[in-house]
Amino acid sequence: MNAIIEKQCNILDYALSSLWRRRLKNGGIVVVFAAVIFLVASFQLVTSALTESAGRVLAAAPEITLQRMSAGRQEAIPLAHADRLREIFGIRAVVPRVWGYYFDEVRGANYTVLGVAPGMPQAEGLSNAVANETPWPTGAGQVVVGRAAAAALELQPGKLFSFFRPDLSLKPLEVAAIFRSETELVTADLIAMPIADARDLFGIPATHATDLCIYVANPAEIATIAGKIAKILPDTRVLTRPQIQKTYQVVFGWRSGFASVCLLAALAAFAILAWDKASGLSPEERREIAILKILGWETSDVLGLRFWEGIVVAGLAFLLGTTLAYGHVVFGEAALFKPVLMGWSVLQPTLHLAPQVTLKEVLLLLAVTVLPYLAVTVIPAWRAASVPAESALGG
Amino acid sequence: MLIELDAVTKIYNQGQINEVQALTEVSLAIAPQTMVCLKGPSGSGKSTLLSIIGCIFAPTSGRATIAGKPLARLPDRFLTVHRRATIGFIFQRFNILPALSVADNITLPLLPLGVSPKARRERAGVLMDQLAIRHREHFPAGQISGGELQRVAIARALINDPPIILADEPTAHLDSRLSRDFMQIMADLKKAGKTIVITSHDPLVTEHAAIDRVIGVKDGRIDVS
Repeated sequence: MNAIIEKQCNILDYALSSLWRRRLKNGGIVVVFAAVIFLVASFQLVTSALTESAGRVLAAAPEITLQRMSAGRQEAIPLAHADRLREIFGIRAVVPRVWGYYFDEVRGANYTVLGVAPGMPQAEGLSNAVANETPWPTGAGQVVVGRAAAAALELQPGKLFSFFRPDLSLKPLEVAAIFRSETELVTADLIAMPIADARDLFGIPATHATDLCIYVANPAEIATIAGKIAKILPDTRVLTRPQIQKTYQVVFGWRSGFASVCLLAALAAFAILAWDKASGLSPEERREIAILKILGWETSDVLGLRFWEGIVVAGLAFLLGTTLAYGHVVFGEAALFKPVLMGWSVLQPTLHLAPQVTLKEVLLLLAVTVLPYLAVTVIPAWRAASVPAESALGG
Repeated sequence: MLIELDAVTKIYNQGQINEVQALTEVSLAIAPQTMVCLKGPSGSGKSTLLSIIGCIFAPTSGRATIAGKPLARLPDRFLTVHRRATIGFIFQRFNILPALSVADNITLPLLPLGVSPKARRERAGVLMDQLAIRHREHFPAGQISGGELQRVAIARALINDPPIILADEPTAHLDSRLSRDFMQIMADLKKAGKTIVITSHDPLVTEHAAIDRVIGVKDGRIDVS
């Protein structure tokens, strides 16, 4: 057993010296491979971090959201619907919500305005997303602003500003707080205010709301209760929290999927390059293998040599690529992929991503990068290893 | 006999359009502790004969027994194992890897045997002392003189302490002084108990006093003329 381990150590030692002797060529391969791994790993880390971040924020969303639909478009929902909903067993609370988009012509940006009733369960979730410990909503005309919106409007806590009502009169507002940066994924362009102020801003009557937030006693019954609501109020659209979470995942999923396909093409191109490198032997390499074989190296030893060379190159590239990817995502805010994953909005969130590096993700990354490289370098090495020993002899 | 060939024939690419008959019914016996020279022009079949004696491949027909083992019955893997235990090779131009150090070149045959680095260094050290190249131990082989290179090749052939040394046209690219030095080392090895087979048509080799027998090879047959 010791001799087998010693033999593999000897071959690994020789592989390292062999790589060092061709350090320019192998260094180039490591750099190119590390760049490919960097791109794939960055995407994987960004996607997982975004999904995680979205999931964390959406945990505070209502279990069911009810919207009124007319001719395929959303309309204000009468508050009378809420009374009918309270008859359904299992519903803990029904809270009206007023929200909409406010277009800022000067900056070309859209802000999401959300009205929240004091004391409603959602307010508690949003309150946790506020930067300071200010109780929220604090009072009439007071708003909590997302970071991107605050930056665009040059707002800070205590500052006054105005929005236009539909009749073009000005509605004064005061910044009470700024949302925490960790929640930027969904709060970047958000301006949250008391529901009465939101009604006033959008001209929605007190008898109506944009939608109704429904909180259920048992989360396991969300689907059942949603079904009951759809039967009782057929003119409404029932959105459950799991559906919204899934939508977010799909949105990030297709974007990352699209980019992954592009990256896999790069990976495939690299694999072809690696195959070519592994299968094509220079006269110098051919001579070296013939010498090794005539000196008593078996075909399996030469294959082992190629395998160790592949492991070292792929391992170095993997370490380099993933380390750079982690730095790129955590410290560089995934600058290269932000437009693809975040969309092209005027108000883009400043990302503070904390990727969840799990064993599963590391293994997945190894499977899509290192294993194909080993396959395309070791399999054609059979050809290299079968160089006849007698070719080391003269005529 | 340490090396016995009986009616050995070697055909390359048998049954194909590029079939070549390299050896035809060659019979040969070489006793232990002798030095034999295979002499013949280029393309005469010397290297094929040396390859069979060196356990690189088995003959197409006939019987070849090297150090007591019949080659035809050994699969390729066992040929390799038998070769590294029995044969030390010295190549034309020595086939030293120039980027490796002298010591690393000498110990190359020991790597697949699982010999530890310390034991490798010790065994190489003894041979480097004997061949007076110890001072070049850590030099890249590409930076040493032709005479030293020759000694590195000899040390590498001896590192496994094989009973048989095969040298393929060893003096083809050496001047007469280095050729004489080489033959003197071979003569010393013969005295030390090695059996040596050299392919050459260099008179410095064929006419050397230590050569016990010169076997002519012509058109794939033993030349008896």
